[in-house]
Amino acid sequence: MRTSPELSLAARTRRYQLSNGAILLLLENHANPTVSISGTFRGGEFFNPPAKDGLASLTASMLNKGTSRRTKIEIAEELESAGARINFSSNTFTVSVSGQSLSRDLPMLLATAAEELRSPGFPADELVKLKERVVASIREDQDETRVRAYEQMTRIVFPAGHPCHRPPSDQLIREIESINTEDVRRFYESIYGPESLILAIVGDIEAEQVRDLVEQTIGRWEGPEPPVIDLPFTELQSAPCRESIQMRDKANCDIVIGHASRLRRSNDDYIPAVIANRALGQSTISSRLGLILRDEMGLTYGINSSFSESGIVDGPFTIGATIAPENIDLAIETSLGIVNEFITNGIRPDELADEQSSIAGTFQVGLATNGGIANQVSSVELYGLGIDYLDRFPDIVKSVTKDQVDQAIRKYIHPEVATTIVAGTLD
Amino acid sequence: MFSKIQEYEGISEYRHTGNDLRVLLAEQRTAPVVALMVVYRVGSRNEAVGHTGATHLLEHMLFKGTPTYNKKLGTQIAAVLQKHGAIFNADTWLDRTRYFEMLPSDQLELAVHLEADRMRNSFIADEDRQLEMTVVRNELERGENDPGRILDERVWAMAFREHPYHHPTIGWRSDVEGMPTSRLKEFYDTYYHPNNATVIVVGDFESERALELIGQHFGSIPRSTHSIPAMYTVEPPQQGEVRFVLRRAGQLGMVEMGWHIPEATHPDSGALSVLDHVLSAGVTSRLYQALVETRLAVDIGAQAYQFTDPGLFTIDLTLSPGIAHADAERAVGEVIERLKNEPISEKELRKAQNLITTQMIFLRDSPFGVVSVLGEFEGVSDWKLYVDLPRMVSAVSPTDIQRVVNTYFGDDNRTVGYFIPKDEQQ
Repeated sequence: MRTSPELSLAARTRRYQLSNGAILLLLENHANPTVSISGTFRGGEFFNPPAKDGLASLTASMLNKGTSRRTKIEIAEELESAGARINFSSNTFTVSVSGQSLSRDLPMLLATAAEELRSPGFPADELVKLKERVVASIREDQDETRVRAYEQMTRIVFPAGHPCHRPPSDQLIREIESINTEDVRRFYESIYGPESLILAIVGDIEAEQVRDLVEQTIGRWEGPEPPVIDLPFTELQSAPCRESIQMRDKANCDIVIGHASRLRRSNDDYIPAVIANRALGQSTISSRLGLILRDEMGLTYGINSSFSESGIVDGPFTIGATIAPENIDLAIETSLGIVNEFITNGIRPDELADEQSSIAGTFQVGLATNGGIANQVSSVELYGLGIDYLDRFPDIVKSVTKDQVDQAIRKYIHPEVATTIVAGTLD
Repeated sequence: MFSKIQEYEGISEYRHTGNDLRVLLAEQRTAPVVALMVVYRVGSRNEAVGHTGATHLLEHMLFKGTPTYNKKLGTQIAAVLQKHGAIFNADTWLDRTRYFEMLPSDQLELAVHLEADRMRNSFIADEDRQLEMTVVRNELERGENDPGRILDERVWAMAFREHPYHHPTIGWRSDVEGMPTSRLKEFYDTYYHPNNATVIVVGDFESERALELIGQHFGSIPRSTHSIPAMYTVEPPQQGEVRFVLRRAGQLGMVEMGWHIPEATHPDSGALSVLDHVLSAGVTSRLYQALVETRLAVDIGAQAYQFTDPGLFTIDLTLSPGIAHADAERAVGEVIERLKNEPISEKELRKAQNLITTQMIFLRDSPFGVVSVLGEFEGVSDWKLYVDLPRMVSAVSPTDIQRVVNTYFGDDNRTVGYFIPKDEQQ
């Protein structure tokens, strides 16, 4: 069975605006009797009111804890009996909706998602249990060297109130414990709405039928106008800094080196910057940092660099590695040496060609599943790139020059003012 | 060159007439990608004291290169695969080692050539081993940072006294550090031969062309001159409960329990798979209801580990703050007692069965999903479990569940570990 992969994605994708303003993207793939849904709407951590960190995340997690009509267990019975699932989770700016089911169960899946979005019950006992689990998982995370190092870096690099700034865990726990169902309901009523919703449905579907089905379910969701995202770029630090976090009984340390990246998805040189990072450190086994620190020196199982959280706004540029305590200084010095050499001499032409080919291949491989396709089409819609961007993407990547990448390296990577945090059992 | 052994539910099995390499092919032409996996029937179950972790360390060494694919030539294995956007890796477990890549379908030959090449031509050089040992030690130490993982390791080590499932796949630290390169080379020369391997290809390709490529690149490798050594150690029945405490820094208490269960091909495997879903899949599951909803635990899990040899059924809990280990353990005991005394309802059974069968259907969304499940079953016993397990699961009845709980969940067959966090001053 061949479902015309030769047709462009733009030609295969139907795009509709629902009567409530939501954007619906449909793509038929009849290979397997399954369907994936993937969507986002504005309502993430950025919109937390003062002293209520964690509210956005709790609100998203409360959506599947019961509605005005049914309890959490009644809903779960129906979904689990069909082997289907729906998840809501909050990100920096958006709430993500994802789900999958056999295609014959799609009407049930959409009706349930709509019920949870339109009439959440926010039962008080469920909020108590959820808060307990969230607090426990924050405490457990605090036991991880990587988490401790990363969070401390964000507190130095981003101002309090910035969505990338992770508050100290004690403060976060206190704020979460103070949240009640009224806070959750108020947040839901003032922030959640369909106008910023982008929903992609990919799989064994008939587009016309599904359009009607969505219109009758999620299309009836109403809410306030989408909240505005307005955040200035974060300034680079003016000087480097280094701190240690002492923890007990840890065989291994984590190092995080980071600074404000000033890179957003909307920057013209986003793709050159992505290529620069891939060559430098995206892959432990084939990027520069990994080739030296793992492959040649055997210092680590994992070392990576990334422009994490770069999307609607700018996040940090980070290098992270797990290192045995006795090798910390050597690892930091070596990493910074590699980065500085990269800044001075830029990307090698063969590296650039390899990364271009790699991105094209990764892109092709990523489109092998319904879920992968759904994520891609909803993401280009989110960033306003147009569905045909996916078809043009391999050429856009291919046209990037060494000069553009080298400029991006110099613009976005600044070890001279980076913050270095080491967490673990030190001496 | 290849004789067709059988075709089963769209999957064809072949055997190379010269070297006995087994090949499984499943065309799935939904996207222009192809997934290839080589499964070697060697895992940490083939190791003993002094060289625990050898299989895993060897797996790392197979990325270090061959005369054709190496760093000096600019053809390092990872770099070549990455260049084509491949998703690739390898993993080692108790019964098998798997090497895999998913890549654009026009690169199938690259994957076939590379895997054939490293089957017999890997360097396994001493200087590479010394460096890679420290990488693996770092991986091992990362695991040691995680109390849940250490607790699990101890449960297996206590439950298996004689059988090599006793030791973790990553190996004991001093073995990993001390193992000479010659021992790894010996392992490589003992187990890495076409007659101990299966090549699995799933995705966008033509079977005839794939067989031609596999014949061309793997066909010239001779079968081993020795027979592949059998592992014959048998774990005797456990005679009495084993209990232990692990005390170290950490945040939340944990309990893990394990009961010996039979090998994957045993007729009770279907019922045990259903049981792990009844106990732990989703918020309606028995353990979730009994422990998370009642705020005794923040997290629960249950897993029927079904392997080549008899494995373990484990239940693990992360306790809510302030909850005593014994209270949470008692709640698990009550869940199990109830399953011993009352058959589950048809509705509850159907829910668990549906979950398992739909999970298998979702896996088929991606060639990688199919290749990894086929590879897992092939490594443990027989790839046909891919088709047969859902059938075995569908045939399970409420009385089967009651019977297996009564058969395997006896007190004398149980190992219980508590992780108790030491007070940490932050």
